Amino acid sequence: MSPFQLPESDLSRARDEAATCIGVDELGPNLHLLTLEAATASRAALPGEFAQLQVEPGPLLRRPFSFCDLDPGRGTVSFYLRVYGEGTRRLAHLTPGSTVRLLGPLGRGFSLPETRASSLLVAGGVGAAPFPHLATQLLARGERVHWLNGAAGSDQLFPLRRMPGGLAGSVQVTDDGSSGRRGLVTDALPELLGGVDRVYACGPNPMLQAVSEMAARLRPEALVEVSIEAPMGCGFGTCLGCSIPLRFRGAPVPGLCCRQGPVLGADQVDWEALRRQPAHLE
Amino acid sequence: MVIGRGLTLESPVGAASGTFGYGFEAERMGNLAGLGAIFTKGTTIEPRPGNAPPRIAEVPAGMLNSIGLQNPGVEVVATEYAPRWRGWAAKVIVNVAGSTIEDYVRVCRRLDRVPEVAGIELNISCPNIAHGLDLGVDPRAAAACTRAVRAVTEKAVIVKLTPNVTDIAEIGRAVQDGGADAVSAVNTYLGMKWSRARGKPVLPGTGTAGLSGPAIKPLAMAAVARLVAALTIPVIGIGGIASTDDARDFLELGARAIQIGTANFYLPGLAASCAAELRQDGGAA
Ligand SMILES: Cc1cc2nc3c(=O)[nH]c(=O)nc-3n(C[C@H](O)[C@H](O)[C@H](O)COP(=O)(O)OP(=O)(O)OC[C@H]3O[C@@H](n4cnc5c(N)ncnc54)[C@H](O)[C@@H]3O)c2cc1C
Ligand SMILES: Cc1cc2nc3c(=O)[nH]c(=O)nc-3n(C[C@H](O)[C@H](O)[C@H](O)COP(=O)(O)O)c2cc1C
Ligand code: FES
Repeated sequence: MSPFQLPESDLSRARDEAATCIGVDELGPNLHLLTLEAATASRAALPGEFAQLQVEPGPLLRRPFSFCDLDPGRGTVSFYLRVYGEGTRRLAHLTPGSTVRLLGPLGRGFSLPETRASSLLVAGGVGAAPFPHLATQLLARGERVHWLNGAAGSDQLFPLRRMPGGLAGSVQVTDDGSSGRRGLVTDALPELLGGVDRVYACGPNPMLQAVSEMAARLRPEALVEVSIEAPMGCGFGTCLGCSIPLRFRGAPVPGLCCRQGPVLGADQVDWEALRRQPAHLE
Repeated sequence: MVIGRGLTLESPVGAASGTFGYGFEAERMGNLAGLGAIFTKGTTIEPRPGNAPPRIAEVPAGMLNSIGLQNPGVEVVATEYAPRWRGWAAKVIVNVAGSTIEDYVRVCRRLDRVPEVAGIELNISCPNIAHGLDLGVDPRAAAACTRAVRAVTEKAVIVKLTPNVTDIAEIGRAVQDGGADAVSAVNTYLGMKWSRARGKPVLPGTGTAGLSGPAIKPLAMAAVARLVAALTIPVIGIGGIASTDDARDFLELGARAIQIGTANFYLPGLAASCAAELRQDGGAA
């Protein structure tokens, strides 16, 4: 059962730095874009990697958030936050000039294609978080990038204007039809899979499972990577709190979301076991 | 710090079992500098996959855990991990867990042959399956386990005590009589967090789990005070240490060394900075 058979995050790049709040933009109900000055992380973080943020006063343990966008020139990083409990509420109410501790980059991010590829980025709700950074990196390499973004309603969609320019295509869906098409991301997915070499997905676990299964059926030649969530105590492999069920050479193995993930190949996840696992602590 | 039986620590600051893995994460992150000792994750004879999630929950000033002793088993620790500890300034003390006294003996016999293992910390807070008893709450069982391990290893044996007893000093005296070189205290307190939304505890099973973090520091200090008064062997203080001043409190109380636990999760550089600050105090005798 050695959990060390799957590749693990590179902890040598992680730094614990004092980050200064530049501002918080409200993007929707309980949805905020937090921008921090964090020079080291702004140069180091790769798409899909995350940071552990600590606010004082605030909860004891840090909270994990995917790097949303980076500006290495200005030395800033941003996070797309959904207010859930005390930690996210305090982060959303930070005032410019206040400081938080930022530990990162942590985790394994998305793999970038080695040869020319056409990528489809699939986001559900706050799962849009890692995609501005990923799309920027893919576009800079001259890749074709398609964007499929879904949320409950129009005010909960990550704004298209916050994505980098140059997307080859973009489709928005909402559960209630208040913006774009009515339905779930999986309703729009089949028609977008044609010609795609890579599918990158982030959102609730049931959505990730559905996207993975659909892509495996309709576009088996595509590589599918998903960003998974688990409750985290540390973010760097010592608390063993973020256990997730994985598969290695077909056999089930316990993995750590913070070291082998959060981004995993769809075929590395034991989806049935994950489905039986309660989503959150509360 | 002389702990006993040839075990001397360069600094009184250690990292507590289950909060530092086997030291490799801190090594990668550059957080090992100046530490006296690393107490490894609880290690058993056979590999254990650990409990089903969720395994942790936050509570005011602390956390609850029910990890379930996930570890790769003593053989992997002895053959794959130990060689990677060579050259570390910090002493690596393997925390040992089991279900029966025989389990502890087998793990310790194996570790006795591993030169990189500087000492053994016996976690006697596990339910004893054979007798339906918790070794750590019964003075006779605690002493018997210590004696049985003492007989198979030349390495320093530190017995880690559970605070979930009426009189921790009684258990301390029993393991001292059983041949322990030192005791460490405390392990986690029994706790529970309720989910009103689900009408049941947040953590699965019985819902009880181990409480740690700053919330337990006053309780831990009281337990350490009783042990310091009752024992002649060194006491290593653990519980809620989250700053150098917290560490100083335990040392002034009479603890020979300290371990930082939960704080390693949210302040990963604390143990190293605490060791450096205590060295400046002249605390590193
Ligand atoms: C790798 C990773 C990346 C993430 N990226 C983002 C992001 O970019 N934007 C965003 O809004 N959220 C993100 N999350 C979820 C976010 O971490 C939680 O919403 C947050 O921890 C909740 O904390 P709280 O104090 O507000 O809530 P509380 O209710 O106080 O949290 C209680 C406990 O539950 C845990 N918890 C609650 N919800 C989640 C969750 N969804 N995932 C993991 N742990 C949870 C917390 O860590 C905490 O220990 C990410 C989670 C992970 C694991
Ligand atoms: C997640 C977690 C896992 C732990 N695992 C072990 C273990 O395997 N063996 C052990 O003896 N103690 C274990 N402990 C207890 C700690 O070593 C320590 O005694 C306790 O947490 C109190 O110290 P603290 O308040 O500084 O965390 C664990 C604690 C935590 C939080
Ligand atoms: S969050 Fe602590 S081990 Fe993954």
